[in-house]
Amino acid sequence: MSKLEIQNISVDYTEKNKSFTALKNVSFDVEEGEFVSVIGSSGCGKSTLLSILEGINTPTEGAVLIDGKPIHGTGPDRGVVFQNYSLFPWMTARKNVAFGVKQIRKDLSKTERLKIADEFLEKVGLEEFKNKYPSQLSGGMQQRVAIARALAMDTEILLMDEPFGAIDAKNRAILQELLLQLWEGDGTQEKKTVLFVTHDIDEAILLSDRIVMMTSHPGTVRKEIPVPFARPRNRSELVETKAYGEFRNELLSLFYGDIADRIGGSEVVL
Amino acid sequence: MTLKQRYLRVTNLLFLILLGVQFLPDKVRQDPETGYVIGLAVGVEVLVLIFSAVIKKSQSQNLFLDIVGFIYVLLIAWTLATAKGNLLREVLFPAPGRVLRQLIEDREKIVVNIRSSLGIIIKGYLLAAIIAIPAGLFIGWKNRLGNAATYIAKFCSAIPPIVYIPYGIALLPTFQSVSVFVIFLAAFWPILAGTMSGVINVDRKVIDSAKVLNVSGGTMLFSVILPASLPQIFVGCNQGLTVAFVLLTSAEMIGARAGLGYYVKNYSDFGDYTRTIVGILLIGIVVVGITFLFNKLQQYLLRWKR
Repeated sequence: MSKLEIQNISVDYTEKNKSFTALKNVSFDVEEGEFVSVIGSSGCGKSTLLSILEGINTPTEGAVLIDGKPIHGTGPDRGVVFQNYSLFPWMTARKNVAFGVKQIRKDLSKTERLKIADEFLEKVGLEEFKNKYPSQLSGGMQQRVAIARALAMDTEILLMDEPFGAIDAKNRAILQELLLQLWEGDGTQEKKTVLFVTHDIDEAILLSDRIVMMTSHPGTVRKEIPVPFARPRNRSELVETKAYGEFRNELLSLFYGDIADRIGGSEVVL
Repeated sequence: MTLKQRYLRVTNLLFLILLGVQFLPDKVRQDPETGYVIGLAVGVEVLVLIFSAVIKKSQSQNLFLDIVGFIYVLLIAWTLATAKGNLLREVLFPAPGRVLRQLIEDREKIVVNIRSSLGIIIKGYLLAAIIAIPAGLFIGWKNRLGNAATYIAKFCSAIPPIVYIPYGIALLPTFQSVSVFVIFLAAFWPILAGTMSGVINVDRKVIDSAKVLNVSGGTMLFSVILPASLPQIFVGCNQGLTVAFVLLTSAEMIGARAGLGYYVKNYSDFGDYTRTIVGILLIGIVVVGITFLFNKLQQYLLRWKR
């Protein structure tokens, strides 16, 4: 039995008497401790899929199973990092993290929660900024706080919806390495099960064990591709290798092949 | 800041002009009590000098000096128009010194009246806030109720609350309770409307991120929706406060036996315009004071906003 099973999910929207299908028969599994990326062009329904896993949306058909049990709404077994605005602007970084911990661990005292918050803010390198409000932090720092909160909540599953999508290239690279390092840990604890949505192919290759590629109109799974690179991964070393280039090209041709199929041409040069 | 920047200011020049004007010959029959104006001016100027020496930020120093400058200009014009020029009717427009003397002589009576006014406004306003904010949160959160309630709140807040005064007088035992009731009605609708619009306009993303944290219903309402809509709630509270002030003095002028509105109405009925002006000035000072404190509270509670 897989940790997370996505079974035949379809989502239909009706807007002004016109219905359209955002997702159609999407099925795949994520194993315990696996890092899976969902990749696809914008509008392929990958965010819709994630919102179903989060419990904010319900599918028209199909089900999501965690440890074999179907989910109903949000749950304490899943932690979420959104692209932006996931922090509460009226709480300091520290309070934001502690607030997340409080919702899951009601048994802890306030001091214990704040201690956990401090510990995780230190892990993401923000111990000096813990008493700042989100408006006083840069976009990258805000995402660090959001990641610290999701990790501090210590949920079994992490759902990440383009968490670095709005961050400049340099900081994105730093955050990717940080996430990788935090997820891999020191090898003693069990790894978290992660489902990571992105439209960045390099990001997906660097981070994941497996990539689920989606196509749009309607959103369906085109292919599941295991990432053949050993861990721990180092970005600068990895991108130098020939194997990386070949794998990347393979993914790209799949990615754009989708577009070629749709416009009916066989020669799409990019 | 150099010494020149600190002490050589237009405000200080105005102070000297104000002093000089006081020594012009009087043209009125009643004693204009020039000594009181000189006393006030010297007192304020001492404050100015202390402030100039203590305050580091040139921005807040400028603000303070500019305000004092305006007061000096007003006092100069007032002195010239009354005591020294007799341009206005003496009975209706007493000289500033006479008003100051009256203010000091009546201080005990004034404290009683201010206390009465403050008591009414605090009771009525707090009662309105305590009921309107939770009600607005709840109604705004229940979408369907919110849509209907917005129209009703608009209707009710459009009626000038002063029209309720006759009902209040007929129904309630004391005049104080009538005033509290009217203030309550005046402040209630703007605060309710502000809270509801705050709740309705809370960013979907904020609600979603609270949902995925598995917050309970109570936590959602009071730890997420309430702070998220606080900026809008304050817009409503500010409106409510303004209406409350207007209503308070109007209500007190109709039938009260205490309060600043009563003070003004009572003495103007007797033709005592010195005391009428004292009352008018006091109303202004009290309103500015409360607004100042209220703004400080708002700044503190919304310190996370940039």
